[in-house]
Amino acid sequence: MAHPVENLSSIKLAWAVAWSAFWTGFPFKLIVALLLLAGQVHPWEGAGLVTLLVVSIPIDIWAVGLTARTVFLERLSMEIRGPVGVSLWWQGAVLGALVLGGAYYAVGTTVAVGQKVAAAIIALIKKFYPALPIAEQITLELLLWTIPTAIVLLVFVLLWLHLFGWRVKRVVVASGQTSSASFVERVRQWDYARVPADPTLVLVSFAGVIVTLTVVFWVLLPVTTPTPHPDYPLQQVQKASKPVKPEELINKTEATLKKAEAVLAALEKEKSRETTKGKSK
Amino acid sequence: MNAIFQKVYDFVDERIGLKTLEAKLMNEPIKGGSRWAYVFGSCLLFIFIMQAITGMLLMFYYIPSADHAYASTQFIIHEVDYGWFILSYHFWGSSAMVVMVFAHMSQVFLWGAYKKPREMIWLVGLVLFVIVMAFGFTGYLLPWDQRAYWATTVGVEIMDKTPIVGDFLARFLKGGPTPGQMTLSRFFVIHVMILPAALMGLAGLHLFFFRSAGPAGPFRGTTEELKAKTDFFFPRQVWKDIVAMAAVFMIICTLAFIEPVQLLEQATPDPGEYHPEPEWYFLFLFQMLRWKIFSGEFGQFLGAIAIPGLFLLLLAALPFIDRSPERNIFKRPIALLSWTVVMIGIVVLTVSAILNREFLD
Repeated sequence: MAHPVENLSSIKLAWAVAWSAFWTGFPFKLIVALLLLAGQVHPWEGAGLVTLLVVSIPIDIWAVGLTARTVFLERLSMEIRGPVGVSLWWQGAVLGALVLGGAYYAVGTTVAVGQKVAAAIIALIKKFYPALPIAEQITLELLLWTIPTAIVLLVFVLLWLHLFGWRVKRVVVASGQTSSASFVERVRQWDYARVPADPTLVLVSFAGVIVTLTVVFWVLLPVTTPTPHPDYPLQQVQKASKPVKPEELINKTEATLKKAEAVLAALEKEKSRETTKGKSK
Repeated sequence: MNAIFQKVYDFVDERIGLKTLEAKLMNEPIKGGSRWAYVFGSCLLFIFIMQAITGMLLMFYYIPSADHAYASTQFIIHEVDYGWFILSYHFWGSSAMVVMVFAHMSQVFLWGAYKKPREMIWLVGLVLFVIVMAFGFTGYLLPWDQRAYWATTVGVEIMDKTPIVGDFLARFLKGGPTPGQMTLSRFFVIHVMILPAALMGLAGLHLFFFRSAGPAGPFRGTTEELKAKTDFFFPRQVWKDIVAMAAVFMIICTLAFIEPVQLLEQATPDPGEYHPEPEWYFLFLFQMLRWKIFSGEFGQFLGAIAIPGLFLLLLAALPFIDRSPERNIFKRPIALLSWTVVMIGIVVLTVSAILNREFLD
């Protein structure tokens, strides 16, 4: 009698594991990428790329292991003995490297040939309809080479899913144990498997990590723009400074002081007059 | 510490019924359990809150006058501490909001969640979609560089083609024969006062309708399966929402780093060597209008007003046309095909518009 996993499509099984695993690991990788960017290191080249890839390995192993267990339990009523993350990850990675190599060559060739064929078709159309507008031509040409390219790409994605699904099935056959629990119990089982034993501890640690990462992020973040526009930088408006003429300044100050002295004298005179008037009364 | 917190909680609870509110908000049953597919609405709310916060921070320095808008934006980018990052976050946040609206609407459409009894949620959602697009359109002018000025000029000219109200709308928005101070003032008021108020009110109504009708749940699965998986909104869906919001936040930050806002030349009524172009999410429509079939006065009206208007009307009428209770997208081939064609069309036309730039000189 065939194992129950054999009745399931390899592609569907691989998709269920890989799609969930991708999104499970994605936020963690994003944190690393963001910190690298804040430190002005590009995560898509050089040391940044190496760092991101190295950090991604344990994240992917954990994510694949977690999602695989969930999928097995929920869809196949199977529990797996021992860790599955490492085994599934390396098999998926090797298959990915092989398929990616093939896809790189095949997609590149399809793009090159597709663009040539599209250009030839457009040239042929232009023979009969020379006034073919540029906007229509661009869309037509784009569709002519992207459709076969998308199909080739899809074939390679399906190929990888099929191969990965086949490996996933081997793991289930080799170390899977049928769970006797009902559907409701199984749902609770995989649900509770994701709930931490000590939620307060997890929440406090989580908050601590977030606060630390936020501080690191703001420390690394450049204060002013690291990439100003090369052609339109900030126009520094220089205030025209007035030339200082010492003689003029002294004369002006003296005149102001004389004026102030005169005002003061007048005020004193008026005050003494008021005092005299008061006494005579 | 806990005792003080409990006392504060009890004090507030006694006065406003916090426990009842908490129970209503958190104990919403989700048929079939929590799912990643349900995070888009919460993410939209999060993006809007972040847009409001970053927008307010920008307003501390931005001057909405034709003489100072450009200089104050340049000042934000080059002189204000972290100003470049806040502005770039706000810029990419607007794009994220449009993408998220498309994702949310697609999920509702594919899940058949617009069907009875959720027609009202769908209709209010459509109005919210228009408001989000209006946010993008009005905010684009504010930096007052060539890109902003000409995108608005093109947009207002398109609006002018609307029958009956088009002329009034275009004149009202421009406030003069060419975009100037009045245009900037009006766009600023619409962007920071009218649209946020409208969005907050309608988002509240959207959520109220959603809570009244309840979540639609998955489109397949037996009653036993759905019942077994049914869960409350808290904690699992809340957790998924938080993770999705964090991912959205980090994606916007990443975009702000990779492609920070850089202003072009200050706005002038002479485009010079600049080729007017709208924001990227309107590029598909802009490219479609370049087709020969949409040339001429009538063609432009057809492409810019009639077709998008009819499409919106069709979306509004959708729950009343599609009255079948079937929600499984794989059993609704017309819906699946239509969605695929629209999405591929938008992507192909957007890429075409980018390729078309080479042929403009």
